[in-house]
Amino acid sequence: MSILLDDSTWVLVQGITGNIGKTQTRWMLDYGTKIVGGITPGKGGTTVEGVPVFDSVGEAVRNTGATASVFFVPAPFVLDAFYETVDAGIKFIVIVPEHVPVHDVMRMRAYIKDKDVFTLGPTTPGILVPGKGKMGIMPASLFIPGRVGIISRSGTLSYEFAGILSEKNIGQSTVVGMGADPVVLTNLEDILKKFQDDDETDGVIVVGEVGGEQEEKAAVFIKNNMTKPVAAYIAGRFSPKGKRMGHAGAIVRGSAGTYQGKCKAFEEAGVYVLNSPIDVLDWAAKHRLN
Amino acid sequence: MRLHEYEAAKVFEAAGIKVPKHRVVQTPQEALDAAEEIGYPVMLKAQVLVGGRGLAGGIKIASNASELKELAGKMTGSEIKGVSVDKIMISEKANISNELYVAVTVDGYSGKPVVIASTEGGVNIEETARKTPEKIVSVHVDPQFGFYPFQARRLLRRLGLSNRLLLSCADVLVRLYKVFAQLEGIIVEINPLAVLENGELCAVDAVLEVDNSALKRIAQPLPNFLERIANSLERQGRRIGVTYVDLDGDIGIISSGAGLGMASMDIIGQKLRPANFLETGGGITEELLYKCMELIMMKEGIRGIFINVYGGINPIHEGAKGVVRYIKEHHLTIPIVAKALGNHQEETWETLQSGGVHVVTNVATEKAVERLVELVGVN
Repeated sequence: MSILLDDSTWVLVQGITGNIGKTQTRWMLDYGTKIVGGITPGKGGTTVEGVPVFDSVGEAVRNTGATASVFFVPAPFVLDAFYETVDAGIKFIVIVPEHVPVHDVMRMRAYIKDKDVFTLGPTTPGILVPGKGKMGIMPASLFIPGRVGIISRSGTLSYEFAGILSEKNIGQSTVVGMGADPVVLTNLEDILKKFQDDDETDGVIVVGEVGGEQEEKAAVFIKNNMTKPVAAYIAGRFSPKGKRMGHAGAIVRGSAGTYQGKCKAFEEAGVYVLNSPIDVLDWAAKHRLN
Repeated sequence: MRLHEYEAAKVFEAAGIKVPKHRVVQTPQEALDAAEEIGYPVMLKAQVLVGGRGLAGGIKIASNASELKELAGKMTGSEIKGVSVDKIMISEKANISNELYVAVTVDGYSGKPVVIASTEGGVNIEETARKTPEKIVSVHVDPQFGFYPFQARRLLRRLGLSNRLLLSCADVLVRLYKVFAQLEGIIVEINPLAVLENGELCAVDAVLEVDNSALKRIAQPLPNFLERIANSLERQGRRIGVTYVDLDGDIGIISSGAGLGMASMDIIGQKLRPANFLETGGGITEELLYKCMELIMMKEGIRGIFINVYGGINPIHEGAKGVVRYIKEHHLTIPIVAKALGNHQEETWETLQSGGVHVVTNVATEKAVERLVELVGVN
């Protein structure tokens, strides 16, 4: 099995009547994704690419039996759409839009705290299971089926790593964008756990970047819980340091956030740290992942 | 967006937090007039948005008019950590008996606001956090529930506060949280929160950064974000809707994502010197990439351009037209290497090649950078 998305995932597209929603719906359908409905309040009763459009998520769920949803909703409306989607019983939500206010993301996380809902984003390219389906915007041509899992904070770098592997015929089991915002709905370690438990994944690539403490926390999880080989790349080695104001960030995060600190945490957890993206091929060869 | 101290102080004051008497001035004469009104001694505080301002000479004390005239003369127009001083805050020097630290920020990992307090306020707060973490207390807040006085009191009792100080400090914390929530703060901080000789609390410094993604809906008047960006190229980037960071090299970079842009910089930086970081996000159009080319070429001495884009959400075939239009209109002859993959890649390559762009079809950015190095040479 892949993680999070498989043949039994019936997908809704929220914001399906917008330009991006329409185009991406076409591409998701072309890739074999089971898109069963779309939602745009006020546009119920129409169709997009042959997909029925509903006014509300509840109506869409009742009529289609959908289990998952992908958002192409404008950032200011994401919070409202998210509450509605969780209330309608959807269990897997992918939030593609960028620039969702961070206070909204915090409210969204608080809202699903004790609910059995899995979420990716905001600012995620979504998820792609090669040859089976995709929710989001990943360009299909870069992926081939196989046994390497990829989790990336950056959308574009998830394509880059999958593409580098695919060029050498090393396929992927599932490719996941966790979202590039300072606060995301699901932390890195929770996605790593899915890959550790997935019997179709033999190794995992983590694509991180400087800032925050996702990688440092994930390193602890990897050390204690993961038996599969993990490789990691951290983007931003030569990024200029931001002009930091105030001390609160440093008090909360301690020394976390730097390129060196993240590499060190991963190395101590037995992770293969990649100096440059293309080095991922050495790691894949070492573990015979093709 | 970061607010200047005087702007943040205004917000704090409106929220019911006491701040020192102060005026914002731009000339030594205005400084003298302000001090006349406030009364000596006064603090001079450069209004520059840099960290570690005090240690870099941005905070001074003047005990009389001649000292003030000299210090204000030196400070106006000077540079603090590369940022020129345009405004100075002249403020009353409070009679401080003790310095506290209070802040609210976003904890990215837990996804919650976190309220922080310490009895060891002042410039060494980060050192305190490392060496004696027990002197700093914090609590995560459920953003749906908010932050109430009982939570503030419970937090502050852990620092040993009691009686009047406990109540007045709890009051400041609750007001500070309100500022954080209403202005969609990334960080709000008072360091030091001074305990005055008369027992009152006073915010002697004020830090406030608000979420850029929320600027349009914050119900209070905010300064113009564009005017806030000191670097003219970075300001132009924001104006056209991209993230541009000015660097000191001579290789222009355009990327369609932050991660890819950082990786491009990291790989290019091993042999060449990036002139900028530029990330378009998901908004590529023909017009946007034309403007990106224009922005990159505003910098003197660009020797080559590296374009690294993916067609996921972005119509890169449209963007390519903008790149080529710029090249043709400006008779650009410097080497341009592009890696453009994903939806509509063949069409994109064809367009770029018609403008003389060197298209690399490998996936790995390293290969494309090798091509760039061949073309521009290492200097």
